[in-house]
Amino acid sequence: MPYREKIAWLSLGAMIIAYGIYFTFVIVASLNNKPITDLTTLILFTEIVAIQVAILIVGHLYFRFKTPIDAKAKMDERDRAISQNSMSVAYYVLMAGIIMVGIVLPFLGTGWKIVNSALFMIVIAEFVQYSLVIWGYRKGA
Amino acid sequence: MGKITNNIRTLRFMNGEMSQGELGEKVGVTRQTIAAIETGKYSPSLEVAFKIAGVFNVTLLEVFGWEISN
Repeated sequence: MPYREKIAWLSLGAMIIAYGIYFTFVIVASLNNKPITDLTTLILFTEIVAIQVAILIVGHLYFRFKTPIDAKAKMDERDRAISQNSMSVAYYVLMAGIIMVGIVLPFLGTGWKIVNSALFMIVIAEFVQYSLVIWGYRKGA
Repeated sequence: MGKITNNIRTLRFMNGEMSQGELGEKVGVTRQTIAAIETGKYSPSLEVAFKIAGVFNVTLLEVFGWEISN
């Protein structure tokens, strides 16, 4: 498996774990009609980012140790093509999401609801990007 | 419709069983990219195609071909 595909799997996994926990907590609190405070949300978000960064650091170190030659290799034309394709699709997903949050949500919600929706759209765009990188390597280019 | 075919595996064998990694190093791509080219999953740029032909000291048409299919 190409090194950059491994990193995409790692990033996808770290993101799903971290933001899965975060959004589960936010949705459960919202369904129970117990809105979480600003400070609690901020602390939760900080913890989630710390979890994501920790997974990424450990994963990167593991892959670098296991395949040091692949880790040092520069991006070649196929890596660049896969990266550009995934980024361009993810850009449109992000734009669509942010426009939706920016235009629709001010009429429906306030404060953290808007912030969390924007964050969710960023996560979706990232999810699309990593998924397309993986798909690109699986498909060939 | 058609597809690009190649003789890279044969040419590697004829050149002292050159590894995919060695070939990749010589043309400036990763081992996985050479593997993807060999299996027809990835079509390289003209630049890389010429470099591959150059490594084996053959013409482009001796490395790559075009197979027409219906």
